[in-house]
Amino acid sequence: MNVFFYIAAVVAIISTIMAISGRNAIHSLLYLILSLLAISVIFYLLSAPFIAALEVIIYAGAIMVLFIFVTMMLNIGLERETEKKWLKPCMWIVPSLLAAVLLVNLILALKNVKSIQPDEEAILPKQVGISLFSTYLLGVEIAAILLMAGVIGAYHLGSQKKKVKHRFLEIN
Amino acid sequence: MTERDFLCLTPFLIIAIAPVMIMVVVSVLRNYKVVYGFSVLSLLAAFGSIFFVLPSIPHTIEPLLILDVYSMFFLGIIIISALLVTFLSYDYIKQLEGVREEYFIIIFTSTLGASLLAVANHFVIFFLGIETLSISLYILIAFQRSKSNSIEAGIKYLILASVSSAFLLFGMALIYTAIGSMQFGDIVAALTGHDPLSLLVRSGFGMMMVGVGFKLALVPFHMWTPDVYQGAPAPVSAFIATVSKGAVMAILIRFFFIIKGFNNHYLFIVVSGISILSMFLGNILALRQKNIKRLLGYSSIANMGYLIIILLTGSNKGIQASIFYLIAYFFTTIGAFGVIALLSTNEYEAEKIEDFKGLFWKRPFIALVFTLSLLSLAGIPVTAGFIAKFYVILEGMKAGLIVLIISMIINSVIGLYYYLRIITMLFSTPSEIKLPKLSITGNITIAIVGISILVLGIYPGWLIDLIIRFVSL
Repeated sequence: MNVFFYIAAVVAIISTIMAISGRNAIHSLLYLILSLLAISVIFYLLSAPFIAALEVIIYAGAIMVLFIFVTMMLNIGLERETEKKWLKPCMWIVPSLLAAVLLVNLILALKNVKSIQPDEEAILPKQVGISLFSTYLLGVEIAAILLMAGVIGAYHLGSQKKKVKHRFLEIN
Repeated sequence: MTERDFLCLTPFLIIAIAPVMIMVVVSVLRNYKVVYGFSVLSLLAAFGSIFFVLPSIPHTIEPLLILDVYSMFFLGIIIISALLVTFLSYDYIKQLEGVREEYFIIIFTSTLGASLLAVANHFVIFFLGIETLSISLYILIAFQRSKSNSIEAGIKYLILASVSSAFLLFGMALIYTAIGSMQFGDIVAALTGHDPLSLLVRSGFGMMMVGVGFKLALVPFHMWTPDVYQGAPAPVSAFIATVSKGAVMAILIRFFFIIKGFNNHYLFIVVSGISILSMFLGNILALRQKNIKRLLGYSSIANMGYLIIILLTGSNKGIQASIFYLIAYFFTTIGAFGVIALLSTNEYEAEKIEDFKGLFWKRPFIALVFTLSLLSLAGIPVTAGFIAKFYVILEGMKAGLIVLIISMIINSVIGLYYYLRIITMLFSTPSEIKLPKLSITGNITIAIVGISILVLGIYPGWLIDLIIRFVSL
C-alpha cells in the first residue's frame, strides 16, 4: 500500500505544481487532469473505488474536458498555428510520462489487491447511496438548494441584455 | 425523519420553500412588488414559526442537527436581520435596470445557509451551510453587473472565500482523520482526557480557524473586507456584516464551547492574538478612511475582534453577553448601512464622507438615526452599543482577561475619533449635493432600527433577562 500511495502522491504533487506554475493554459489543464487522476488512484488505494470512479468521470472527464474545449474555442481563428504549437513533444511528453507512471502503479496495485487492502472493506456505491438517502438526507437537500443558488446566480450574472436597436444603428 | 423532526424544522422548511415558490412565480409573471411582498411574508412566517417550534425543543435530529434554545435565538436574530435587509433593499434594488427578482431568491438561500449554521451539530452541515451562504453572497455582491466595482468585489470574495473554504474543509478532514467522526458530540468525547492535543487535531483546529476567521473578517484574514463592503450594494454589505457574520459566530461559539477550547493553552493564545490584532488593525486602518462603506468595513473587523473575547470567558454568562452584543451590533450596522442605502441612487452611491455633509439640515430624521448608529458603534451611553460593550467587558473581567479588556478599552477610544469625525460632518454647513427622495418603507425601517438602538440602550433589562433565562449551551 505504502509504495503505491507514495508514487501516486508524488505524481499528484508534481502535476499540481506544474498546473499552477504553467504559463500555457492548455498545458496547465493537462497537468490538472493528471493531478485529478492521481488523486483518484489514491482514493482507490484507500479502498473507496466508488469515489475514485466519480473523480475520474466527473472531474477528469466532464469538467476538465469542458475546460479544454472552452480554452480551444477561444483561439478559434488561429487553429492551425496553435494546434501545431500544442502538439510539440515538449508539451505532452511529461504529462504522458507521468500518466504512464500512474497507469503502471494502478496495474501493479490491482495485481496485489489482496496485500494492499488486508483489513478494510471496500466502500461500494450501494453503501454510499444508502447513507446519502437515510442519515445524510438533509445534507443532500441542502446541497440541492446550494446548487439552485448557484444556477440562479449564473443565470443572473451571465444573462445578456437584449439589444433594442439594430446593431448597424448603434455606432456611437 | 419523524413528525417531530419535521415540526422542529418548520422555520427552515419555510425559508427553503419560499425561493422555489418565487422561482415558479417569476417564470410566469415578473412583478417586483409581488415578489417583494411574498418574501417579506415568508420571512415573517418563518420568524413566527420559531414560537410554534419552541415547545418541542430541545430536540436533536441525529446526527446532523441540534435544535436548542441557543440555536433558536440565533435563528430569530438571523431572520429579523434578513427581514430588515429586505426592507432596505426594496428601493435600492427597485431602481436597478434589468431583472431584479432574483435578488430575493438569493436572499432566501443565503438566509437558509446562515440559519443552518445556527443548528449545525455536524461538520457536514457546518460546511454545507457556509457554502450555501458564500455562494449566495458572491451573487449578491456582484448583483449590479454593470458596475465594475461590484464585479471586482464579487470576484475577490469568490476567490478568497474558496481558498478559505478549502482551509476549513482540510481542517475538518484532519480532525476526521484523527478522531473518525464529524459529529460534534463524538469529537468532544474523543478529545476529553487528551490534554496536549495531538498534532493532527491541533493543525485541524488551526486550519478551521483560518476558514472561520475569513468569514468573520478577523486579522490576518481581513483583506477582503473593505473592498467587498465598498463594491457590494449597501443592503448587501449590511447583510454580510450581520447575517453572515452572526451565523458564523453562532457556530464558532458553539463549537469552541463544547470542545472547551478556552482550556486549551494553544487555542487560547491563538484566539487572544487574533482578537488583539483585529481590534488594533481594524481601528487604526479606519482612522484615515474617506469612504464610509470602507470605514464601516474596518469598524466591523474591530467589532468582531471585541466579540471573540467572549470565546475565552468559558462561561454561559459569556455566551449571553455575546448574544446581546450581536443583537446590538446587528441593529447598529443595519442602521448605518440603511442610511447609506437610502441616500444612494442607481447613478450615485452615497459613500464618501463629503456626501453626508450637512445631512442634518436637509434630512434631520435619517441624520439622527445615522448619528445614533455611529454613537452606538462607538459605544456611547444611551445607545445599545454601550450596554453591549459594557456587558462584554464585565464578563471578560470576571474571567480575568485583563490584557484583552484593556486593549478593548484603548481601541474604543481610538474608534471614537473616526465615528465622531462623521458625526461632525453630519452637522456642518450643508453642501449643494442633491439628495434623493426618501421612501416610506425606508423611513419606517430606519425608524424601527433607531428606536431599537435607543430602547436597548436605555432599557436593556428585559432582553438581558430573557437571554439569561433561556440561553445556555
